[in-house]
Amino acid sequence: MPFTVRDHVMERDIKIKVDRLCFSYQGHQVLENVTTQFEENTLTAIVGPSGIGKSTFLTVLNRLWENIPEATMQGTVHIRFDGRFHDVYNGSFPPPKLRRLVGMVFQTPNPLPMSIYKNVAFPLKLAGEKDKDLVAGKVEKALKKAHLWQEVKDRLGDDANALSGGQQQRLCIARSLVLEPEVLLLDEPTSSLDSKAAAIIEALLLSLRSNCTVIVVSHYLEQVSRIADRVVALSDKKFMEKSLQKPSE
Amino acid sequence: MNRLFEKCLLGWAWVSALVLIGSIACIVGYLLIRGFGTLNPALIFGDTKPMDALLLKKQVFDGLFPAIIGTLLLVVLSVVWAIPVGLAGGIYLAEYAGKRVKRTLNLFFDILAGVPSIVVGLFGFSVAIFLHKHFSDNVYPCLLISSLSLALLVLPYIVRTTQVSLENLSAETRFTAPALGATKLQNIFYVLIPKSLSGIVSGVILAIGRCAEDTAVIMLTGVVATAGVPKSIFSNYEALPFYIYYISAQYADTQELLTGYGAAIILLALCAILFSCAFVIRKQLAYYAFYRA
Repeated sequence: MPFTVRDHVMERDIKIKVDRLCFSYQGHQVLENVTTQFEENTLTAIVGPSGIGKSTFLTVLNRLWENIPEATMQGTVHIRFDGRFHDVYNGSFPPPKLRRLVGMVFQTPNPLPMSIYKNVAFPLKLAGEKDKDLVAGKVEKALKKAHLWQEVKDRLGDDANALSGGQQQRLCIARSLVLEPEVLLLDEPTSSLDSKAAAIIEALLLSLRSNCTVIVVSHYLEQVSRIADRVVALSDKKFMEKSLQKPSE
Repeated sequence: MNRLFEKCLLGWAWVSALVLIGSIACIVGYLLIRGFGTLNPALIFGDTKPMDALLLKKQVFDGLFPAIIGTLLLVVLSVVWAIPVGLAGGIYLAEYAGKRVKRTLNLFFDILAGVPSIVVGLFGFSVAIFLHKHFSDNVYPCLLISSLSLALLVLPYIVRTTQVSLENLSAETRFTAPALGATKLQNIFYVLIPKSLSGIVSGVILAIGRCAEDTAVIMLTGVVATAGVPKSIFSNYEALPFYIYYISAQYADTQELLTGYGAAIILLALCAILFSCAFVIRKQLAYYAFYRA
């Protein structure tokens, strides 16, 4: 159902609205009638047992699930861009355009076998950006946002796979940020990292929410309570609000 | 019991590997022992001066030079026909085909892979006869017909290796570029193909090997014992595998038979050069796709 002007005046803080979402894979129901919404410029954590559909939910928001064979989805997803809600499953909203606005970072760092610079510049190349100065500026900005610039500024031509695990994950975050997405989805971004690298990523996520809506899937309740503004638990194919207990100062 | 089984399995694996390596060493060693003595410029160029032969100023009548050139042209042409079709077929099956289409085409390519090469040769010969009868009196079995027939023979290898290499990529690799806003085509050309180049080149190498060694197809589609260097793709030609077959079946004396071993060593060397070229091309392609693109 389309949202009226009155709707989005009242819902001006809402960035994403998910309505009656059902998702099944190979005939197995993963999500059932999920209705939820995400506020703008907040960090929401999704928690729940393994294999329950948390990562699947993220792929519904940027339509990445459409690359999975034998998966089907019902329901609607509206995301607010330029002040008005768009049905992202509407034919006029092609997936590549959506995914430039809704970035995604995976559990395992997945830099491409190319230089650090080219990894971060890759999404701009995909978007058809040819202005080298503009690309260089955006790459530097993204690496700074990802708290990686100081560590790699003198070796941008080095192979990205030579970076440490934590640096690779920050590189992948920078690669998503270079497109200046309005929503950033992160699927257990620290699960393959040591505690020191995880702490750097946590600080990075906290700094991102000032101009980006961040949704993180996480297994670590302690981590979630440190960084999240809101926690939702996925249980029995449905979302449930979870009270947030901030650690004592 | 488990430890004993594991030890037996390991032993069997070692024996199998040694048998394989030993067989290859025996074949190459035997060829070298029998044929190394015959390897000299005269075997390749006969009485003709090598530079005159290489610059195609004079024909070589009593050396292997025309057969080497014929084999090279045959392999290159066959692979040139087969690669675009095979790659496109493999990409289609892995990335675009629906379940039913995939099942049908996979069955079709499996059957094609199992067709004996003599049948493919007969098909090529029939096509040449058909074209001669209905289109032009000038069409005969020739290099073009041979290369097209060989391309048909090796097509399933390239299709299947391309398909399997693409399908075996992890979900994370598949999702990397789409999550960054890549279209399906961009994902295929910028990430999936470069990432699966190793497997694809294996298919091409298999194809090169098959094209270089197959005798049954070319016997029916244009190879002859004496033709010289082919003047065009519509000419007859000579080829090393046919020379080896011909000499081993009809040698007049031991010395002539030994030249067959010499030809086999040259054929192996030719294959090694072509395989090396395939590896270099793979490396350059991957470099271009990932670093320069």
